[in-house]
Amino acid sequence: MATVRFQNLRKSYGDTHVLTGIDLVMEEGEYVVLVGPSGCGKSTMLRCIAGLEDISSGDLFIGDRRVNDVAPKDRNVAMVFQSYALYPHMTVRENMAFALKVAKRSAEEIRVAVDEAARMLDLGHLLDRRPSQLSGGQRQRVAMGRAIVRRPDVFLFDEPLSNLDASLRTHMRVELMTLHKQLGTTMVHVTHDQVEALTLADRLVVLNKGVIQQVGSPRELFDRPINTFVATFIGSPSMNLLPATGHGATSTVDGVEGTLDVPSDGAFTLGIRPTDFTVGEGPLEADLIVVESLGSEAMLHMDLGEHRIVARVDEPQSFQSGDKVRLRPNKVHRFSAATGERLP
Amino acid sequence: MSAARVSLLRALLVLAALLPLPWRQAIAAQVDEIVLWHAYQGREEAGLEAAARTWTEQSGVRVKLVAIPFGAFASKVETAIPRGNGPDLFIAAHDSIGKWSAMGVVEPTPQLSADGLRPELMEAVRWGDQRWGLPLAYKSLVLLYDPTVIQTPPTTTDALIAEAHKYTGGGRYGLAYQASETYYHAPWAHAFGATPFDAEGRLVPLDSDAHVKAYAFTARIARDEGIVPQQPTYESVQRLYNEGNAVFVIAGPWFVSDVDRPIAAAPLPWVSDAGAPARPFLTVDVAYVAGQAQHPDEASAFTTWLAGPEGARIRQEQGGQAVSSALVPTDDPLLKTLEVQSKTALLMPMNPGLQGLWESEAKALRRVMRGAATPSQAAHEAALYWEVVSRPSPPAVSPWPYVVVMVAVLLGALGWLLAPLRDPDFRAKLRRHAWDYVWIGPATVAMVLLVLTPFVVGAGVAFFAHDQGEFTFIGLRHFTDILFARDWPLSSPLSFFYTLGVTLLWTVTNLIVHVGLGIALALILREPWIRMRAGWRAALILPWAVPNYITALIWRSMFHVQDGAINALITLVSGAKDPVQIDWFGSFVTSFGANLITNGWLGFPFMMVVTLGALQSIPRDLEEAAEVDGASWAFRFRHVVWPLLKPALLPAVILGSVWTFNAFNIIYLVSAGEPDGTTEILISEAYRWAFTRGNRYGYAAAYALIIFGVLLAYSRAANRLVGRKVL
Amino acid sequence: MSREPSKVIVFGTHAFLTVFTAATIYPVLWVLKLALTPSRAFSMDPVPVPGLALRDGALHLAPVSLDNFRNVIFTYDAAGSWLFGWQLMNSVFVALATAALGLTLSATAAYAMSRWGFPGKERGMAAFLVTQMFPGVVMLIPLYLILDELHLLDSLMGLVLVYSTTSVPFSVWTLKGYFDTIPQALEEAAVLDGCSRLQTFWWVIFPLARPALAVTGLFSFMTAWNEFILAATLMGDPKSFTLPVVLQRYVTDYGTDWGSFAAGSVLVSLPVVALFFALQRHFVEGLTAGSVKG
Ligand SMILES: Nc1ncnc2c1ncn2[C@@H]1O[C@H](COP(=O)(O)OP(=O)(O)OP(=O)(O)O)[C@@H](O)[C@H]1O
Ligand SMILES: [Mg+2]
Repeated sequence: MATVRFQNLRKSYGDTHVLTGIDLVMEEGEYVVLVGPSGCGKSTMLRCIAGLEDISSGDLFIGDRRVNDVAPKDRNVAMVFQSYALYPHMTVRENMAFALKVAKRSAEEIRVAVDEAARMLDLGHLLDRRPSQLSGGQRQRVAMGRAIVRRPDVFLFDEPLSNLDASLRTHMRVELMTLHKQLGTTMVHVTHDQVEALTLADRLVVLNKGVIQQVGSPRELFDRPINTFVATFIGSPSMNLLPATGHGATSTVDGVEGTLDVPSDGAFTLGIRPTDFTVGEGPLEADLIVVESLGSEAMLHMDLGEHRIVARVDEPQSFQSGDKVRLRPNKVHRFSAATGERLP
Repeated sequence: MSAARVSLLRALLVLAALLPLPWRQAIAAQVDEIVLWHAYQGREEAGLEAAARTWTEQSGVRVKLVAIPFGAFASKVETAIPRGNGPDLFIAAHDSIGKWSAMGVVEPTPQLSADGLRPELMEAVRWGDQRWGLPLAYKSLVLLYDPTVIQTPPTTTDALIAEAHKYTGGGRYGLAYQASETYYHAPWAHAFGATPFDAEGRLVPLDSDAHVKAYAFTARIARDEGIVPQQPTYESVQRLYNEGNAVFVIAGPWFVSDVDRPIAAAPLPWVSDAGAPARPFLTVDVAYVAGQAQHPDEASAFTTWLAGPEGARIRQEQGGQAVSSALVPTDDPLLKTLEVQSKTALLMPMNPGLQGLWESEAKALRRVMRGAATPSQAAHEAALYWEVVSRPSPPAVSPWPYVVVMVAVLLGALGWLLAPLRDPDFRAKLRRHAWDYVWIGPATVAMVLLVLTPFVVGAGVAFFAHDQGEFTFIGLRHFTDILFARDWPLSSPLSFFYTLGVTLLWTVTNLIVHVGLGIALALILREPWIRMRAGWRAALILPWAVPNYITALIWRSMFHVQDGAINALITLVSGAKDPVQIDWFGSFVTSFGANLITNGWLGFPFMMVVTLGALQSIPRDLEEAAEVDGASWAFRFRHVVWPLLKPALLPAVILGSVWTFNAFNIIYLVSAGEPDGTTEILISEAYRWAFTRGNRYGYAAAYALIIFGVLLAYSRAANRLVGRKVL
Repeated sequence: MSREPSKVIVFGTHAFLTVFTAATIYPVLWVLKLALTPSRAFSMDPVPVPGLALRDGALHLAPVSLDNFRNVIFTYDAAGSWLFGWQLMNSVFVALATAALGLTLSATAAYAMSRWGFPGKERGMAAFLVTQMFPGVVMLIPLYLILDELHLLDSLMGLVLVYSTTSVPFSVWTLKGYFDTIPQALEEAAVLDGCSRLQTFWWVIFPLARPALAVTGLFSFMTAWNEFILAATLMGDPKSFTLPVVLQRYVTDYGTDWGSFAAGSVLVSLPVVALFFALQRHFVEGLTAGSVKG
């Protein structure tokens, strides 16, 4: 078990700067989830920890050791790849035993370690199969098992669940949480999936264009996004952002009638999550365009003046497209119109 | 001549010499054994072995007999002996003495006693003012006949022809011999006076009256009279005789041991038209003391004994040889006939550089026999051809300008290669990747040492003219001669551009056949409704699995005009009454076709396999979608399969075209360039210059460099055309 | 699964295949027939079946014998050594060693070219392939000189070196194409599992590249097994010749001993053909990756 510490770490390929000045500490035993849009450098960060990529400048520490120049195999980290990267020519048992075999552990030791991991992941009956004879979920568990047997200081997961169907994903999420609880090891997890991020993370790291936007617990990021990027990126459907103008104790949405009880001055960006509306009454009136029904609840897609907004309602039956709908925001976020930074 | 003559080549060769390694194994000097190289087979080999055993008993010196395949013999003694890797002595025909003495392949042996050896045969080992080895035995053509049919052999050609007519017809021939070969034409030619040299030792012009008459005579006796089968090979003559379908045969003494019926020998008849006796060539087997022999004294002793009466008797009795010793008489009728024949026979000349002469005459003879030229036309062409082939080397030029340019180019290249090293980032990158080079290192070192260096050294010879072991620096002269078609008109089969055209035609047609067949078969073999798909596939890759020099030789014999299976099949299928006799190698189109069929057969399996693989990556459902849309088969191929197949096949096609371009084996073994060198491709032409037209290594190397240039340009163009790096 | 086409098409296609395949194996059958016919010389009838002859429009039985094989196999030199045995052993050794060495040389190089971005990689690959365009005619004598300098003349090891080097470009080309199709993640997993480069290569890449390795190994084997010009020039003693050189003995200036030549050919071809069939299921896969990827 160990901490992972980035100090002003940069990574570039020639003129392409992929990571620019990462400063971050991942605490011992913490479950850290990296999120961000595609191509923002999540995998690269993970691969820097693993040692699969050279670091262009800055430092990386695992525990107290500076590992910039430490070979991957000496870092004691394990990684689960999105494609699982199981060795096709080896059985499940051989796959899991491979790292220990390379490390020249005794046959007995290997057997014990593999059996234990297999028991933990419920792989016992699959040990003699080849990866090609396994289902997606089983492969995922084998990949996991391969990481576990090594008892690494840090686990690295690069979108480990993205190849699974929805229900399996839910199931594996729980497995991952259980595993984390059992092992207590530092885990770094890259994902695109909001739910995955929010449910698993002790701490969430939002990355954009190679820069860390915000680090914090899921609650913090959800409740107090530090800028418009995080605000829209976390939460689904994403936060409505509206240009607004403050008049001291109240403000108005540009081009829309109705005054809101939001104290502010001058132009700013108003953020309201779809869940934070009271629908049916309030100062704002919008034209309902589409009702997106999700079973017990629904998303109303509406035009508020020029702006398209989304609100969530619990009784979808009472709405029809073409209706005029009145709205009241219950909780709002304010961001600088110029920089997108959160206003205090 | 200039002093730079040899030294520059030496320098090039030293370049190849590289590091002399310390573990030179000491060649154990076993004084009690000498090594002898020979190419004898069968009975002659047995005779030699018996003689060697006797000598070992008498002298205590063991003789290690090393049988070298005939085809490899000359090149082997010429490469190995001058480098000190040869035997102590070797046995070979006398006619290369001129060349070998200049190259240091053989040692002069004035000390060896010629006692008891027939003096006229001693002429066979005299060259310059020296003697080189001792004559062992001699051979020449004689007239062989079936004693069960003929009691007294004819003594004139008129009688022979008349006699032969009696037995010709119904698959039977009065006379069988390899009429289209110069060696077999020589007895008649010499009778007419068409000898290589006249009495004063001057070359007889190849278009002399005597030559013309001789061609006309051969054309008459071997073609017009209808008593000789067409284009007989040695094997077919042998078969005809064994079947009792040939009454007279003209052949050497070796023929006798290859037939299993009674056979008798007589001297060749008097040539009635010439009023002179037929004079076949006389070749003499000589035991040479090899240059740089380890044990020259022991070798000399054995040579003298082997040629002398004791060795001669063993070789005569057990090896069936007509020996050179006058002291061992024989009552064997064949040997007696040979002895008589040797009195009129003409000693094969030993002058170096005559290869081209034989080739000129051979071409003319074949043209006459084919009816493609009249005797006088053919003789005229032969004279022209000989004039070019025998042209003296171009004058030497000073190598220094070339050296300066070369050094400048090398330095420039080195600078260009090393320039990035000034960049610290690049150096850091190099350091980071240092281990990568270890991985490619072994392959690279091996390639540089064993492929690149031989090529550079070999190609470097292009700047030299070679004449009997001596190299003269002549600069770019060979290249200009070739590229400006100095020696032949553009349309002549010997001009570079004609051959280039044939080569391109060859490459393109082959690719069409390979790719066409490959794709067609692959498309068929991937259909799920084909039964036993694996079986068909296995059978169809067979041509690829069998070594191609074997199958090429088989194809050549299948195309033989009389004995070949192809003509037999055509006869069978067409139901013709008389056997179909297509002379496959008699015209450009059929000869080229024969090459093409052979190489097409050899090459389609590779394309088939590659296509099968490429097809696997094309999803079947795309095609099925098109099929559902009602697209025809052709439409689907054109618009769905082909666009996906093309990029996958291109690299293999380009690599295949390079291989085809240099498919030396096929041309050399199947058509051998016939007719008249028209089906030669560049690489086989280069081979001819190097090995069958008087060892013009420099000219051949220039050809090779040009071939390389053409291919390089082609591959660059192909890369551009494909839009990615393929080759 | 697409439907089976009409009976006519199915029948026609099979008929075509039958005729074409018969034509394809026709020359090979002739080799067999010549080998089994007890005669040096022959005239070809249209039927390449041993023991049958077509004369005057009717099939006859023809003699069949193993004499030619006996003649080829039981050759002894003057000292009484069993030449064919030696030559067979030489061939087997040279071909196997060439396959092993050729694979080692080309697999390591191909792997480096497939994976790592060292300076000069592109040019190196191009240079390897350019050697395919060298016309071999001019290389024989310099090669002899070099091997002489290296004291590798007359040694089977020298032959092995030359052959395995000759086979390198095509092998690198094929193998690199195949390595390119192996996902990089597998190697990264191996690296994290503690493998060095060599271990990754040996434990992960090598087993996965088996089809391509089988194909290139076979081609290297064939290079060595079939070659005779170099072997005849570089080796000085019938006991160190390889089998194809021996075949050359039956083709002389006077004529060809077809019976022995064909029997020798059959003996030389059998092992290669057997290997070919044993490995052919790998062909499509092993060869295509290389050519398709370029
Ligand atoms: N070898 C490389 N050379 C140049 N650029 C690269 C290289 N590898 C990655 N990149 C660039 O680095 C950026 C970050 O890549 P990375 O794989 O870390 O993204 P990611 O956040 O994992 O994206 P995704 O969510 O799609 O997996 C991308 O813009 C990518 O194009
Ligand atoms: Mg990624």
